[in-house]
Amino acid sequence: MASIVPVLVLTAIVVGFGIFLVVVTGMLGPKLPQSELKKKSYECGIEVQETGHSKIPIKFYLTAILFILFDIEIIFMYPWAVTFADSITGGYGLQVLLAMGVFLFVFIVGLFWEVKSKALEWE
Amino acid sequence: MAGDSILFYALSFLIIYFALGVLMNPNPIKAAFNLVLAMVGVAGVFFHLQSGFLGGVQLAVYAGAVMVLFVMVLMIFDLKKERDAFSQGFLGNIGKLLAAGIVVSLVINNVILSSDLQLATSNAAKAESGRDTTKILADLIFTEYVFAFEVLGILLLLVAIGAVSISRIKGGTHADS
Amino acid sequence: MGADLFEIGVNTAKLLVIFLMMVQIVPLLVWVERRGSAYIQNRFGPNRVGPLGLTQLLADAVKFIFKEEFIPDKNRRFIFYAAPVVALIPGALAFAAIPLSIPISVETFELFGQSWGPYTFLFQGYEVGIGIVFVLGVSSLGAYALLMAGYGSSNKYSMFGALRASAQMISYELALGLSLVGILLIFNTFDFQQIIDAQKGQMVIAGNALPLPNWGIFYQPIGFILFVIAVFAETNRLPFDLPEAESELVAGYHTEYGGIKMNMFYIGEYGHMLVASGLMVTFYFGGYNLPWFLPQAEELIASYGNVMAAVILHLVFLAKVGLFLWIFVWVRWTIPRFRYDQLMDLGWKTMLPWALANTIITAIVVFWMRS
Repeated sequence: MASIVPVLVLTAIVVGFGIFLVVVTGMLGPKLPQSELKKKSYECGIEVQETGHSKIPIKFYLTAILFILFDIEIIFMYPWAVTFADSITGGYGLQVLLAMGVFLFVFIVGLFWEVKSKALEWE
Repeated sequence: MAGDSILFYALSFLIIYFALGVLMNPNPIKAAFNLVLAMVGVAGVFFHLQSGFLGGVQLAVYAGAVMVLFVMVLMIFDLKKERDAFSQGFLGNIGKLLAAGIVVSLVINNVILSSDLQLATSNAAKAESGRDTTKILADLIFTEYVFAFEVLGILLLLVAIGAVSISRIKGGTHADS
Repeated sequence: MGADLFEIGVNTAKLLVIFLMMVQIVPLLVWVERRGSAYIQNRFGPNRVGPLGLTQLLADAVKFIFKEEFIPDKNRRFIFYAAPVVALIPGALAFAAIPLSIPISVETFELFGQSWGPYTFLFQGYEVGIGIVFVLGVSSLGAYALLMAGYGSSNKYSMFGALRASAQMISYELALGLSLVGILLIFNTFDFQQIIDAQKGQMVIAGNALPLPNWGIFYQPIGFILFVIAVFAETNRLPFDLPEAESELVAGYHTEYGGIKMNMFYIGEYGHMLVASGLMVTFYFGGYNLPWFLPQAEELIASYGNVMAAVILHLVFLAKVGLFLWIFVWVRWTIPRFRYDQLMDLGWKTMLPWALANTIITAIVVFWMRS
């Protein structure tokens, strides 16, 4: 029977190890005088250009939202795939196959439409 | 078993702690990270209750997909004005808590009043291992609720079309105001 | 977890050892990567410090630890410090769920005037009944370390790197998830142990034994290719290392990191590679099983005892994983980097349709074979 305790223990070990490394190496390293230049963001040595509100293509947002939709559809295939053999031996394999077939058809139509509408186009 | 209950309450406490963090944190991105942790906590509760598949789905879909979108969008739109509008100190926090409390009590009320609760407990008794809960779930989806399942597929398609259309509006969200 | 003190102790030690294995693989892989790239490019590579340059790793570690800590002028310091810690988590949690060898049974024994046992210790960190879903769920959290690093650095190149990285990771996660549906259709389980057990022996089709091992790759060749491409993208390795494309983005999301914090991102990345190789071996190459003409687990237990058999099979597993880790290095110095639009096109317009076709064909064949 699966238990969550070892997962939590391992998470604690990993986080503890990580915090230890960050804290200890922060203390071990040499302390050299800080200068204004050192504190600045590194942009290849050029003066930092604060643009304030930087504009980022909406494509990232669109990609993420399309990903969620397809991810949900794929997650639905998992229980289907795992129990498909049982469904066949249970005598209702064809019904389950057709149910998923219709679902996949909608999936493919969606993917085709998105490719066609150039929603996935990056230039 | 006592240990199991302690773990359950500890996880629940963590979830509530992070959920409050979502409400109280004036920085939207930190609030979003708190929500991620709350989602992971919920996945932990699912695992703990031997519903491994639901726990995995919670991790992959909510914590790993929906919240990535939230965090990404919040990073894209650096919310400076909104941050000032929503961080009004003590009174603002009380207001947020009150609003959240009303929503939570409505949800709890609905859960208690609904009679479907019986069904859930009877199915949980049948589920002995991760495999079995998955099997029960799959059998229900692909036999009894197959129509709802197909409609869901179409709904997801419509959402995709909607999202693409909105992003097409001239200038999109980057229209200069 | 354990019922008594001994079992709890062993299981906790096991978790520690498996995590340290993941941390220790990093210097080794860095060495392999450097020497390998030098070999491919007809150079010497690091060969001055110790035999074959092996102790170069120790020198590197010391340097990492004693570096001056840069504290750039940040107002997001907590997220800046938390990101490398978060980067360690997904790889470690996922790797511990993969079975590395056969379970070890311990007979009843006397210690401290008390009888202990019998025990069965699994040769893995922990068993989760729904292995595949767990690993996919945990590794999908990997995007947060990058996003946190990008946001915490308050550097526009880090930010772009993080956004690119997460968009790439989620795009290929679809193909990754879908390419595994075929494996699920064939083995009918989420459990790693059952998948490995199902790949024992010789391949039998319609009553005829073929001279092939009963491995997943022979049932799912297209699925395997898609899976390999998808994990390359998930681990942000070349040819998919757009997030750290130095010609465009300085160093991507870890531009502002130095010293051990930088190294922790590497541990996370190599941990991801380790998990990816472990999954490839588990799903497509029979896990720790040897091919049918070599001794199987039962014969090994009979002739060498349980512990030795477990160690031998563990070495077999490590050899298979090592092969795939080498392929990661090899590919890195063979194929040039993609352009971003090509990368997205490959993920959405090529991989996804192929994975869908693979799923549909597998489902129809399974239906036809079984009914």
